Amino acid sequence: MGRKRNLSEDGGREDEEEKPMKERRVKEKQEGRESMRPSMIKNKEKRAVVHAKLKQQKKVEKKKKVKAREAAEKKALELGEEVKPLLKFTVFTDLGFRVFSVDFVNRHNGVVYLGELIDGSMLFLFSLNIWFVGCSVLILDCEVGHCGIFCAHNISSHPARLTMGSPWSLGKPPPKMVPRTIENTRESDETVCLPDDEELFAGNDVDEFSAVLKNERSPKILITTSRYNSTRGPAFISDLISVIPNAHYYKRGTYDLKKIVQYANEKEFTSVIVVHTNRREPDALLVIGLPDGPTAHFKLSKLMLRKDIKNHGKPTSHKPELVLTNFTTRLGHRVGRMIQSLFPQDPEFRGRRVVTFHNQRDFIFFRHHRYIFETKESKQKESKGKKSKDEKNPQERTIARLQECGPRFTLKLISLQHGTFDTKGGEYEWVHKPEMDTSRRRFFL
Amino acid sequence: MPRTTTVESSGCPPLRALTFDILGLVKVVEAKGEQKEAPKVVETWGEPDASRCVLAASLVDREFDPLLGVARKSGKIEVLSPVNGDVRASISIESQNHPGSADNSIVGLHLFKGERLGSSSRSCNLLTCTSKGQANMTYVKMSKSLEDSGGESTQTMWNVCGSGSILCSKVDADESYALFGGKGVEVNIWDLNQCAKVWSAKSPAKNNLGIFTPTWFTSATFLCKDDHRKFVAGTNSHQVRLYDISAQRRPVVSFDFRETPIKAVAEDVDGHTIYIGNGSGDLASFDIRTGQLLGSFLGKCSGSIRSIVKHPELPVIASCGLDSYLRIWDVKSRQLLSAVFLKQHLNSVVFDSKFSTREAQVPPQQQDTDETLQTEEEEEKTVKRKKASKEHSGSKKLKTKKKSKRSKGDSNDIA
Repeated sequence: MGRKRNLSEDGGREDEEEKPMKERRVKEKQEGRESMRPSMIKNKEKRAVVHAKLKQQKKVEKKKKVKAREAAEKKALELGEEVKPLLKFTVFTDLGFRVFSVDFVNRHNGVVYLGELIDGSMLFLFSLNIWFVGCSVLILDCEVGHCGIFCAHNISSHPARLTMGSPWSLGKPPPKMVPRTIENTRESDETVCLPDDEELFAGNDVDEFSAVLKNERSPKILITTSRYNSTRGPAFISDLISVIPNAHYYKRGTYDLKKIVQYANEKEFTSVIVVHTNRREPDALLVIGLPDGPTAHFKLSKLMLRKDIKNHGKPTSHKPELVLTNFTTRLGHRVGRMIQSLFPQDPEFRGRRVVTFHNQRDFIFFRHHRYIFETKESKQKESKGKKSKDEKNPQERTIARLQECGPRFTLKLISLQHGTFDTKGGEYEWVHKPEMDTSRRRFFL
Repeated sequence: MPRTTTVESSGCPPLRALTFDILGLVKVVEAKGEQKEAPKVVETWGEPDASRCVLAASLVDREFDPLLGVARKSGKIEVLSPVNGDVRASISIESQNHPGSADNSIVGLHLFKGERLGSSSRSCNLLTCTSKGQANMTYVKMSKSLEDSGGESTQTMWNVCGSGSILCSKVDADESYALFGGKGVEVNIWDLNQCAKVWSAKSPAKNNLGIFTPTWFTSATFLCKDDHRKFVAGTNSHQVRLYDISAQRRPVVSFDFRETPIKAVAEDVDGHTIYIGNGSGDLASFDIRTGQLLGSFLGKCSGSIRSIVKHPELPVIASCGLDSYLRIWDVKSRQLLSAVFLKQHLNSVVFDSKFSTREAQVPPQQQDTDETLQTEEEEEKTVKRKKASKEHSGSKKLKTKKKSKRSKGDSNDIA
């Protein structure tokens, strides 16, 4: 609720602030560039204040714009056909150009007569398609309010061009732009799984994780470390154990990893996780599927332990829900299934625990939350409040709130090896090679 | 700045390759025409089933009546027609000593093309080898109809090794000698006519530190087309060795290649170039006479290479493996010509080199080609569909809305 109050206040404040801003701008223009720009303020705190102010202003302006756009859209919808946009055309021919200002009033039988060109040809506006008859034929699929691409197919020797007043002048707001991000301009990849791929499902049914994922085996995880282990390593492992149910820590000792894999196989573990520590900082994670599952080697970075997270919660021992997002390709599917096989497949929703593995640009972000749905009475806006005073029935909203608990870290796949851990004789299903980094828009997961 | 490949792939010459994957599917990849278009999956034979996982495959590549042998994980060996995928015969190899043991799987299969034991167009000979070292010469009679495709078979069986496990087995060009090697098994050569061991290798001496690397052969190939005396073997300790039977029992030339085990070795027709693929997806060609690296094949190959084949006529090799791509490379420029994504881990690939002449000659098989064309078209359609799925869905929604509106209007009118 505080937000809305802020808004209204901001609106008020902004009006006051706008004037001095404008004045300042004018002054700046007058004085050239001698006046102080906010970045020229030496005092850091003052500069920060000014910057914050500017930022706030920008935000408010943006919000205003959005509101205006929405209102305009609504209006347009309500008015429907009644909108009488004023179109301005400029027709260029080699004989000169003419500007037409036309509204939709003079409409006859669906054909709007626009005007006569110099050489006697005519311009028609047929509902929303614009035809240009005469020296050249223009068939334009141009919706009013949308800037279409105008092309002229010249038949005669008269080159003709038609420009249209910018659609903004028609009272319609500019269309919302979708920002181009690296994700949505990703290089097309043929290995991306499609939902109708039968071979994918057939392959999934028989892969190494299917026994766990079909609930034929319950996951049992062995967690161990590299040979040397101190400070953050054990703390991270205790966090991991609280995240993954049925995980058991075994001291590494001086055993070979192959021996540990053998032991875990005998004890019917389903996976082995090795936390590799370098300079007292966990920096790699090795996940080995058992008995013959693949071995994934992840780089671990940005580790934040539970105790370092502000307002962290203490997780319960319920089985968590698992969220895996953005694992799109074959390789991604495989890694996702591998991660999935670490957790039990029957989450206890009472616990309201969520473990998230979010893949973005090949980085897998791990988060662990507890969520709660709360019903909150929301005060209505003052303007609406006046109307509904007599009702006295405040709206009830349910909102979801998150509390982060457990560690926070980022994984990046280095290699996926066929079979259990074997660095010397192992076959890799996927290794990252420098020659594969041909584009920053190419992703593998 | 990451390195970028500047040379665009120049397309494939017309060829036909068959790939075999872990779900038992046989996929036919064809590149057609002079326009050098990209190869496509033309046909897929079989149903996805893990027990039918293809372990080894062998092709008799001839113009008339070609045959394709496929060894499945379930112990069955099927003889298919590489033209249309019909099962010509299907046998299961009996294992005497280890009945039904899971790890006694077939590792090698060879289909003989020469005349042996009175083979005719209705029969064929095949040599199989299991990981426990049971070599098996089988004479299979193929029946006419598909229903009783069991066929008659006579088998001769012998043991190649006492202990260890066989990982590679090859038959030389004359089809009279075979080599076997594996984990803990030195490469040994057998005369197939007498079923007798002719020669066996000797492990190399300890190195200067006194360290002995245990024997572990992962792949091998006979070198010359007209000779069985030279062969190349790749080991698990990333070593490539050239053996000469007539010279000595230890390797003549040996050199290291990268750091992961050699998983595939293939020879060129010229008799001295070999192609080596390893467990981390590196592919390179070597001159075996000197042991010098001729060059690496770079092409974003990210998974272990399981199989390499040289096209018998064109200067082209194909490689496939765990990254589920079939890659076709030019031998001379070492450029990637094209890569086809085949969805599963691939176990082997063979080239069917005579397909164009076959198609040209035999009129009844024209129908097949028509069918393949149709399938191609269908595939294109599906691709288009996939591409345009978003737009389509949007437009469909719109249409349905419109329709619903219309229908409502109609109903109103009626009402």
